[in-house]
Amino acid sequence: MRREVPLIITFVVGMIVLFANIVTSADGSDFFLKAWSTEIENWIIIVSAFAVGLATVNLFRIHGDNITRQRPGWFNSLALLLAIVVFAVVGSIARLGSSEFFDTLNPNLYDAIIAPLSAAMFAMLAFYIASSAYRAFRMRSLEATVMLIAAILIMLGKAPVGEMIWSKFPTISTWLMDIPNTVGQRAIMIGAAIGGFATSLRILLGIERGHLGGAE
Amino acid sequence: MDWKKLQNIDRRIIYILLILATVIPMINPIGIPVSVGASAQKFYNFMDAIPAGDKVLFSMDFAASGAPDIVPEAKAVMQHLMDKGVKVVSIAFWDNGPMFADQLMKTYEDQGFEYGVDFANLGYIPGGETAIKRFGEDVVGSVSKDFRNNSISSLPIMEGIKDTRDFAAVIDFAAGNPGTEEWIRQVQGTLGINFFVACATVSVPQAMPFVNSGQVTALLGGMRGAAEYETAMGKPGGAVAKMDAQSLGHLLIIAFIAIGNIAFFMDKKQAR
Amino acid sequence: MMIIAGRVTLLVTILLLGVIVVAGINMSKSGKWTPKIRRLAGLDAVEEAVGRATEMGAPVHFSPGIGGITDQIAPQTFAGLEVLRYVTELTAKYNTEIIVTIRQPTVFPLAQEIVRQGYITAGRPDMFQEDTVQFLSSEQFAYAAGVLGIFNRRKVAANIMMGAFWAESLLFAEGGAQVGAIQVAGTASMAQLPFFVAACDYCLLGEELYAAGAYLSQDKVKLGSIGAQDIAKAITMVILLVGSLLATAEIDALANLLKK
Repeated sequence: MRREVPLIITFVVGMIVLFANIVTSADGSDFFLKAWSTEIENWIIIVSAFAVGLATVNLFRIHGDNITRQRPGWFNSLALLLAIVVFAVVGSIARLGSSEFFDTLNPNLYDAIIAPLSAAMFAMLAFYIASSAYRAFRMRSLEATVMLIAAILIMLGKAPVGEMIWSKFPTISTWLMDIPNTVGQRAIMIGAAIGGFATSLRILLGIERGHLGGAE
Repeated sequence: MDWKKLQNIDRRIIYILLILATVIPMINPIGIPVSVGASAQKFYNFMDAIPAGDKVLFSMDFAASGAPDIVPEAKAVMQHLMDKGVKVVSIAFWDNGPMFADQLMKTYEDQGFEYGVDFANLGYIPGGETAIKRFGEDVVGSVSKDFRNNSISSLPIMEGIKDTRDFAAVIDFAAGNPGTEEWIRQVQGTLGINFFVACATVSVPQAMPFVNSGQVTALLGGMRGAAEYETAMGKPGGAVAKMDAQSLGHLLIIAFIAIGNIAFFMDKKQAR
Repeated sequence: MMIIAGRVTLLVTILLLGVIVVAGINMSKSGKWTPKIRRLAGLDAVEEAVGRATEMGAPVHFSPGIGGITDQIAPQTFAGLEVLRYVTELTAKYNTEIIVTIRQPTVFPLAQEIVRQGYITAGRPDMFQEDTVQFLSSEQFAYAAGVLGIFNRRKVAANIMMGAFWAESLLFAEGGAQVGAIQVAGTASMAQLPFFVAACDYCLLGEELYAAGAYLSQDKVKLGSIGAQDIAKAITMVILLVGSLLATAEIDALANLLKK
């Protein structure tokens, strides 16, 4: 039963949501499948929220263990747990209560800590692409050469300085984005969509059970 | 010459030079002109043709990490629409989205525009693609209170809005999923809305097939897109100023690629 | 009850593809047809990567991507979890530590169960520790920072990334390269493929990720499904070709039919 119940739930829920998007009532009135589908969608949101709680418990267990056993870098774990508590408390009071102090503190914490840290991590991509391009864009093969030339043409086409060097760079860059890029994207998109459909169908029909753990 | 050493330059040197190449032009702008591409021009022309009093929907589907690329686009389009008297309603399917919308709107409140009349922030709806579908088909049924806890029905700007077809345009400021593809699948395809995308630079290749098929009317791509929009408006701003940094950064990367390849070939030649 | 306007083609497509996939699976199970998957260098390299980590006495890092199990990119997550099972059994065989990092809370219990069961199947239940599977953060770049921290502190020797990724893909790939890890990646996230191709040693492109489970296990059901997908793609190619020719001749019949 441990494996059969999740499979039955998967099938029934999947079929309801699938058919709610395809069929409706002949007279245009509210269709029961649509209402069921909406209710299921609400439950998905609620269950996802509980999963956050479960994952947070894991965080507390691992990092609490680091702190109590004073493992190397335990102060990082302490900082993490303190941050979780502070953000959770401030955010909850700001959302549920009516304190002007917390209403101001909540977005300020976000603007002062999360936003700059996230932006800094994203900015690291610029440096990493520079070192990665320098390391990897070598003309070792025909494919590597084509990739290299395409990358250079796109970079020169997109940056204003490229148009200053030669007015045709933006045109070439636009053509590369419009034609070869779109062709490749569409091909992978279609293949991936069919692959995704087949995977989803296997999960819906209970043929794919790997995600439930245990032997298949 | 030690070609092997030239193939393995310490990456810290690359990083330092890149910092200099991007920071110096921000302090001392060079002023390289930015031309307006066809897609940005189409985007601008459509927004310019929207009559005053009509409403446009902003879907703020990005987080702090994508903000440096997308917020300049949102600022440029918002400025254009506010100047024209077009009203803006924002929604978000990413939890960070409403905060960026709120920051954007507060700037205009300080200039005398009125929240609830000229713009409104409907907040965040969890649920990803499912939520986008529901919102697209039934705006007022999906949201009861806005980001500032006002009842939707009390906002004058929401009068006459039932579903997303009641907006003159829907603009998705997108950094990933849920975003462009979900909007196209669930709303644009079924309701036939005028759908625009202003995305992070890295998402542009993925969005191109939808632009070519007409499902996305026009696209703005990252900081360059924002700079093009500012130029089209005739009001070059922060995005245009940062394009010099992008230009020098690109040139530096190309230079390092060239150095690496020259060293690679010379090393191979020497080995023979 | 009636079909919603504009969804007839959708229903026909779902039924047609469904029949093809189910028929493919049944034919493969009964032995009438066993599709062969061409060599996928990336998946062959997974064992090499784990072996290298064993030699160096360093752990293997695995990420099933940043997608969840209820969104559009869920199939990539499931495909990644299939590879996780295989990698777990390999690490048990080689007695190598694996660190699995998770971004989505909903994926966390699945990954934990897969790794626990993988060790049990391999006869090494003792290898499963509390921090074998770690939920780092659901904030994208906090997750990325956590993974980079693990790379640098633990000096991982192999980095396997299978699933949906966003911008952090390059951070992982380059971060792994900086610590000298051998890297195998697979994703159907098109925007990230170029970064993986440039920065990783091996890369599975698009639907090669979905074929991973079948390739590694040689399970008849999965092989049948992959074969059926290829048939579906062939049908799609025929429709594309016919549609292109008709569109060139300005005949809208097929386009109008597909819009029904």
